[in-house]
Amino acid sequence: MPPEERRAPTVLAMGGGGFTAGPVDPALDDLVLRLTGLARPRICMLPTAGGDSEHQIRRFYETYGDRLCEPSHVSLFRLGKRPMPLREHLLAQDVIYVGGGSMVNLLAIWRAQGLDVILREAWEAGVVLAGLSAGSMCWFEWGITTSSGAPAPAPGLAFLPGSNSVHHDSEPARRPVYLDAVRDGSLPAGWAVDDGAALIFRGSRLDGVVSARRGRAAYAVTPDGEQPLPARPLDAPDGRRVTVPAIAEMRRLHTARMGVARD
Amino acid sequence: MSRPRQILAMGGGGFSMEAGNALLDEHALSLTGVECPKVCFLPTASGDADHYIVRFYRAFATGRCQPSHVSLFRRDGGAADLAGHLLEQDVVYVGGGSVISLLGTWAAHGIDLMLRAAWETGVVMTGLSAGSLCWFEQGLTAFHGEARPVRGLGLLPCSNAVHYDDEPRRTAYRAAVADGMPAGYGAGNGAALHFVGTDLARVVTSRASARAYRLAPDGLGVSETELACDFLGALPEPALAA
Repeated sequence: MPPEERRAPTVLAMGGGGFTAGPVDPALDDLVLRLTGLARPRICMLPTAGGDSEHQIRRFYETYGDRLCEPSHVSLFRLGKRPMPLREHLLAQDVIYVGGGSMVNLLAIWRAQGLDVILREAWEAGVVLAGLSAGSMCWFEWGITTSSGAPAPAPGLAFLPGSNSVHHDSEPARRPVYLDAVRDGSLPAGWAVDDGAALIFRGSRLDGVVSARRGRAAYAVTPDGEQPLPARPLDAPDGRRVTVPAIAEMRRLHTARMGVARD
Repeated sequence: MSRPRQILAMGGGGFSMEAGNALLDEHALSLTGVECPKVCFLPTASGDADHYIVRFYRAFATGRCQPSHVSLFRRDGGAADLAGHLLEQDVVYVGGGSVISLLGTWAAHGIDLMLRAAWETGVVMTGLSAGSLCWFEQGLTAFHGEARPVRGLGLLPCSNAVHYDDEPRRTAYRAAVADGMPAGYGAGNGAALHFVGTDLARVVTSRASARAYRLAPDGLGVSETELACDFLGALPEPALAA
């Protein structure tokens, strides 16, 4: 991209939902592409946090295969079978989409393979960084991870200032851990985000909040507690926002059964 | 404390690569001296791929042993006390894949220290490919494109190359040792290096044709010596003696 057309560094940090949860938030999946301002953006999925799970990769191609874009993915665990020049490929993208999973594993593997440096370069060059769950928290100074079982603070890449917690509505075990850590000063202030909602950052400044689901929001979290932020509703392609009681119910059951759930 | 420290480092083989040939896997179990050993699979290098975990449980069926696995991508479902779980095993079996991702992920969860402690108390460490390279001071990985050295856990004070039958690994390993990588061992598919303590005790193979080599720097570059191998399969019937 010529310098005069460069985008400001942009991050779309989603609390959950999007295509990995099924075709429930098509408006979020569309927004990911719209943020580039391009008619046919190149979008690359990084499914590292899920161990390059086939399921995530399939969902990605199901979602973006029939949208106007050029989808690809990088499997760091399958480079043996599918070698590619990582830096070159990632810097040539318009969007890098980071899937959910284990935030601790994600960052350990990225660092071991030098992706932390490449991604910062991509972000500074205007490649939109989008992600949900672990793929959202990784951009901040801190996140709340369930990588070791119970929710606990974990450091991120710190492209963005402050802290982030995800699945704020659907995984209630994260909430007290996050609010307490910010209250007692062990974590900097930040943002908690529901499934279906997302933060848009331009540079290191929060530029807006969007929500693809009725009643789902993002919250500013400070030592004084949490404050809902005004969210711009995203319209689903058919003009109506979707609600997903079945999926919420499934998540609640999962949470109740497992005690905690994954990032 | 009477159990010796043991590592069985496979250049390639076992259930991951040799369907229907359980010789190396059986040998790993036999090193424990336990009738029904506890075997824990670490599929980290594959990203905890589901199909790999399923194949492990098929190969290490309950009855012959007590199988379990630890998934570092799905900690919420597994053993809460990882260190305790690893220490109570008879065998820790490390799967193949990306050795760089493997070591990075292990360090992030403290598994490197847990495995060292388990090895020191006599839990047999085994694995193939990335699951072999990881035990050494240095290994040569070709997984990420061009062959390059990677620093392992350093339980064994030497170096390692796997799938040693395949170029470009062979040429690259020779060059690396000539260039200052510690002396070590190249193991081909079907060959496994058995270390007791930090000394190579024996080389065993699941195929009569499998080979392993000792590489060491010499004045001119590098010397490569073929090692004596013990084929674990049935030997041809000896000619009947009168």
